[in-house]
Amino acid sequence: MRPSSVSKRVTTSAPAHETDAERRHEHRFQVSESIARLVMRTTANNLPLSRDDRPYQWSTTTYCDTVSWSIFRAAQKGSAMQLRIREYHRTRPREVMTPGTAWIEFKDDEQDTSLKERFGVPMDVARAFLRGEAALPQPDHGLAERASQLLREGARPVAVTQYNRLAYNSLDSSLRITADHNLMYFALPWETRTDGDADPSPLGSLLAMEPDVIVEMKWYGELPHWAVDLHAYLKENTREERPSKFIVAMRWLLGETDGAKKTRKK
Amino acid sequence: MKAVENAVRSDAPATRVVVVEDDQASADVLQRRLQANGMVVSVAHDGRRGIELVEELLPDLVLLDVMLPDTDGYDVCLRIKSNTSTSPIPVIFLSARGEVVDKVRGLSCGAADYITKPFQAAELLARIDAVLGQARNPRVPRLGRPIERAPGERLVARVAIADPALREHVEQLLGSRFDLAEADETPDVVIVEGNAAVPADIPEDLAVIRVSPGHAGNDGNEVIPIDAQLPRIVDLLVRERSLDHDLQAAAEALIVLASAIGSHDRPGAGHGERVASRAVQIGRALGLDDSTRMTIRLGSLLRDVGNARLPAAILAKQGELTPEERATLERHPILGEEILAGFKRLSGLLPIVRHHHERLDGTGYPDGLRAEQIPLEVRIVSVADRFEALLADRPDRPAVSEAEAVRILQSAVARGELDAAVVAALATQVRAGGNR
Repeated sequence: MRPSSVSKRVTTSAPAHETDAERRHEHRFQVSESIARLVMRTTANNLPLSRDDRPYQWSTTTYCDTVSWSIFRAAQKGSAMQLRIREYHRTRPREVMTPGTAWIEFKDDEQDTSLKERFGVPMDVARAFLRGEAALPQPDHGLAERASQLLREGARPVAVTQYNRLAYNSLDSSLRITADHNLMYFALPWETRTDGDADPSPLGSLLAMEPDVIVEMKWYGELPHWAVDLHAYLKENTREERPSKFIVAMRWLLGETDGAKKTRKK
Repeated sequence: MKAVENAVRSDAPATRVVVVEDDQASADVLQRRLQANGMVVSVAHDGRRGIELVEELLPDLVLLDVMLPDTDGYDVCLRIKSNTSTSPIPVIFLSARGEVVDKVRGLSCGAADYITKPFQAAELLARIDAVLGQARNPRVPRLGRPIERAPGERLVARVAIADPALREHVEQLLGSRFDLAEADETPDVVIVEGNAAVPADIPEDLAVIRVSPGHAGNDGNEVIPIDAQLPRIVDLLVRERSLDHDLQAAAEALIVLASAIGSHDRPGAGHGERVASRAVQIGRALGLDDSTRMTIRLGSLLRDVGNARLPAAILAKQGELTPEERATLERHPILGEEILAGFKRLSGLLPIVRHHHERLDGTGYPDGLRAEQIPLEVRIVSVADRFEALLADRPDRPAVSEAEAVRILQSAVARGELDAAVVAALATQVRAGGNR
């Protein structure tokens, strides 16, 4: 198993920064709650609970795209860079872009792998970044520059997912297994120049809810033997091998509501 | 047990509760207990029916079991809290699942409380009281908007207070800003004490302000304390009301005019009103406040007022327009803005009038604005206008169904013309049965 070089710095003057050392495998499975419970029980016997993702903490992810939906169209073809804002709350918020820490995330998805980099910044900095008025350091993979280009092309927040995440991480971060449930998709009205800079954005209509649990396995190199078995078990019991939450959210948003069944990513 | 006591009082509105509980016996016991305390209770035995009841009745409170036959209570709670109409309704979970993780999960979904079965009735009623008390948002007098006073103009007040000493005191206070009404004079405002009856000879539409020598009312009525601030507060309230009346009268006159013009180029009567109604509904679904929805409504009704300055022949033409005619027609937003520009208090809806034909991708008219340059209110009216137009027969095409109209608008979203979230809000309404 290759070592991870996930770095994390939290200071008052520089943004917290986390990045994948290299592209990592990412497989996701849509399973019933009972299967998910079994899977997470096995996972808990082998990996420690991630401190960053406590049970029933709500993750809110705001996805950006352009008026011509260029990010979504590229993602459907199997390769795209997502630009998104992640927030964490104890109870489910009905607004996004709320004051506090925002994680600006760049995720470069390809057919079987992904590369992610993110910066933890105050929300006003995140807003300034989305407006093209603030730059981020570009220490590793050049994802921030690609994101800036997307923003210059008009990318703005358009859709939101909210869910509870249970996450287990190996100590060296080479393997991460997550279970997302209570998954909800929302539309987000296009931001206007007259919107208050500091005001949170109210969520738009609920587009869909998913009754199942999304289990994701992300790893570098080879899986440990127990995880190989777990992967096979998941594959055997999955309802759908499904595309990313971003693609599912955008399909709901654009009325392409055959949802997760359109393409099979893996 | 304040909420319970209020409900028992015959003159207080009863607290309406929806109970979602799959176990018949438990539901019966709960229903009887709550009814015995003056509440009106409706029961659903599964999640789907529970959500239907909540959306239909808009109760004051939902009591929700976690384990339901068709889904779980968390899912029901999330749906209630994701619908703008139902999200303010407090939810209390009632469950035999008493693990910390269950309680945290329930509260994180937006519930106001989580009670573990079995519970004592007294505890349940106390918690209902506490939750309802937090949910109530007492109405406060609207004093936010200062209104300038015309120089030299004094309003006329009548003080209709029985107690002579108190009446004289109030008249003295008001004398700094108001003239006192003569016996046969119709005043601008009538001052009465507390909950006293309004004199019978006072016209219904006259401003009535209730005052109290003690303190401001805390029972939901707007009662102004009698102190040095009274003249200023009364003055503000009366002028605000007067201006609102004037604005409403002017807007109604303009709407009549716009409707008359619209009838020349629209095949079906009432298109403007339908667009306005639809746009307001979308605004509500997107959580916009009353004031913004009023702007949307007025803007919808007046969006095509500029047609009044176009040649009647163009508006009435049935066939395809020439490029010159189209260019002329596409000036109507600018002309509409010019017509309304003189009404200062309608300035908020001018962007709707000017920009309701703009598109997010910049291909609209008259200014070719792009995405973030177009205010949300404008985008809502654009969607409502196009949707309602699709539902009507036109010379060049027949009417389509609501579902088909939504699909057509979603295609326009995919082309980058319309706001996806606005169309999504419309689609949600149509799926739920819409308003018509």
